[in-house]
Amino acid sequence: MAISTATKAATDALAANPAPVSVGAQEVHRWMQSFTWDFDKNRTKYSTKYKMANDTKEQFKLIAKEYARMESVKDERQFGSLQDVLTRVDAANRVHPKWNESMKVISNFLEVGEYNAIAATGMLWDSATAPEQKNGYLGQVLDEIRHTNQCAYINYYFAKQGQDAAGHNDARRTRAIGPLWKGMKRVFSDGFISGDAVECSINLQLVGEACFTNPLIVAVTEWASANGDEMTPTVFLSIETDELRHMANGYQTVVSIANDEAASKYLNTDLNNAFWTQQKYFTPVLGMMFEYGSHFKVEPWVKTWNRWVYEDWGGIWIGRLGKYGVESPRSLRDAKKDAYWAHHDLFLIAYALWPTGFFRLSLPTQEEAEWYEANYPGWYDMYGKVYDEWRARGCEDPSSGFLPIQWFIENNHPIYIDRVSQVPFCPSYCKGESTLRVLEFNGKKHSFSDQWGERMWLSEPERYECQNIFEQYEGRELSDVIAEGFGVRSDGKTLISQPHTNKDGKLWTLDDIKRINCVFSDPLKAL
Amino acid sequence: MSKSSNAYNAGIMQKTGKAFADEYFAEDNQVVHESHEVVLVLKKSDELNTVVEEILQGSHKADNPTLVVEDRAGFWWLKATGKIEIDCVEVSELLGKHYSVYDLLVDVSSTIGRAYTLGETFTITSELMGLDVKLKDLAAA
Repeated sequence: MAISTATKAATDALAANPAPVSVGAQEVHRWMQSFTWDFDKNRTKYSTKYKMANDTKEQFKLIAKEYARMESVKDERQFGSLQDVLTRVDAANRVHPKWNESMKVISNFLEVGEYNAIAATGMLWDSATAPEQKNGYLGQVLDEIRHTNQCAYINYYFAKQGQDAAGHNDARRTRAIGPLWKGMKRVFSDGFISGDAVECSINLQLVGEACFTNPLIVAVTEWASANGDEMTPTVFLSIETDELRHMANGYQTVVSIANDEAASKYLNTDLNNAFWTQQKYFTPVLGMMFEYGSHFKVEPWVKTWNRWVYEDWGGIWIGRLGKYGVESPRSLRDAKKDAYWAHHDLFLIAYALWPTGFFRLSLPTQEEAEWYEANYPGWYDMYGKVYDEWRARGCEDPSSGFLPIQWFIENNHPIYIDRVSQVPFCPSYCKGESTLRVLEFNGKKHSFSDQWGERMWLSEPERYECQNIFEQYEGRELSDVIAEGFGVRSDGKTLISQPHTNKDGKLWTLDDIKRINCVFSDPLKAL
Repeated sequence: MSKSSNAYNAGIMQKTGKAFADEYFAEDNQVVHESHEVVLVLKKSDELNTVVEEILQGSHKADNPTLVVEDRAGFWWLKATGKIEIDCVEVSELLGKHYSVYDLLVDVSSTIGRAYTLGETFTITSELMGLDVKLKDLAAA
């Protein structure tokens, strides 16, 4: 019986290149290179305006067997720690209550990013033509599956072993009402999987992973440890052991297009857009989680950002590529301003909108206020005095009849949602890089907080049509929306979110919210 | 605390309040500056503690005077000018068990720079592998 062409090719190749008998992993890798698989005429469903070179490398010379062995050891160590010693010492109940709330956000949101990265790297596997580059992307697909499970497991562990499970165990069902969800999906989903394949790689690997996973997954473990959380370092540092290969994949994507003419035309714009897209969300949200979601402070967020984002990612990745035409992102100046102030702006709004969340927030204490003022001169006059006023009006007490959002309304400080990033902003009361811009398209008004998002929107407005909560719920009463959007605990009436983390404090219910009669309105209708 | 320019809190990071803000917002710091440093984050473990304490800060300390190692709770943070190399054959001898470069990768948490493996050696370098310098394959036996 005749053998197939493929079988014959494999038989001939094996005859010419006998399999090694002393199987060092790197020898096997070299042997596999000799097969010279040809994907040069690769047909892909996911096109790119760049031409990816056919000889791009994977820097770690991974083969499937070593990959599987390596990852199983990582899992054994991680789950061994969690299920043995950390459970035995009741570690989840030693976490400071404020940090417990931060992990509801950080791990649930990262899980979404990891999930979308599965698709993103599958897409890149399909687009690439170099066998080693495909191998690198394929390893990443498998990594992202592991990471999705790890992030889910952290919340499962906290919910099962720790304190105040609500929000750890059921965060995603609140995704329609929580104002942070849609922005997260813009960076973690849309940015990774929509549009040009190489542009997605720049978003995911060169910026998301090489830049922002260092504060998000590495530096966060310092904050976790300082606040009594030993689970997060156990899991997140294990996640990050895969990220270095992802960063290398992103770098090799750039290597693969470095000599393509399209790179000189498009790469700097794509890099700037990706940098702004990622920083617009990560910068304020991470800063808020670290500083306002902790009791013990490691260092000012702006310093964390300056080290990992500006000095090291900027200098070591982007700066070194300067001779190949890669420029400093044009939005860097505005991003730096955001890194100093935007998380303070966001916390002010997040606290004002607390009933729509799935985690508890608490106002800065006197000691924390002094720390903010020492590290961010001018903080008290802008933010601290507002918190003092809110506290004096009883914002933590369900019988007070006061929600901080009323302060914004009373003082004529409307809150808008940036159409591109989906991040809320208050242009008349902020110190970050936000100014109101309004454009009309197809009979609908769109608000923007900055020139960079506005430019992206102008080039493809159809991409950014997501309704925001003010449009979606206009005219609806807040407690009805919370009930409909699953923002309550298992008793059906107590809110998941609360404006304090005091375990002896009174918890707000739907009835407390209903008494205030807070109704959604779209600020763009007033313009 | 290290006084090296590669330290975790070197340069501007030592400043606080207005002094930090003045330098952070200075005109010269509104664009990225090329850096020839590399950063390595190593998850603490039995093996990696040995690599850090016995090799990088022990027997090989004199090889790279620019190397700074800092204890950041769950991880070791390393920064050096040029490159950092770890030879896993040497680690194996020290640990008394086979320890491949892939065993090392189990606990290498993050890299800023170009990291790669060749044989049993792990390297992170400021060189632009694949652009300025060809990424080497394992030589044929």
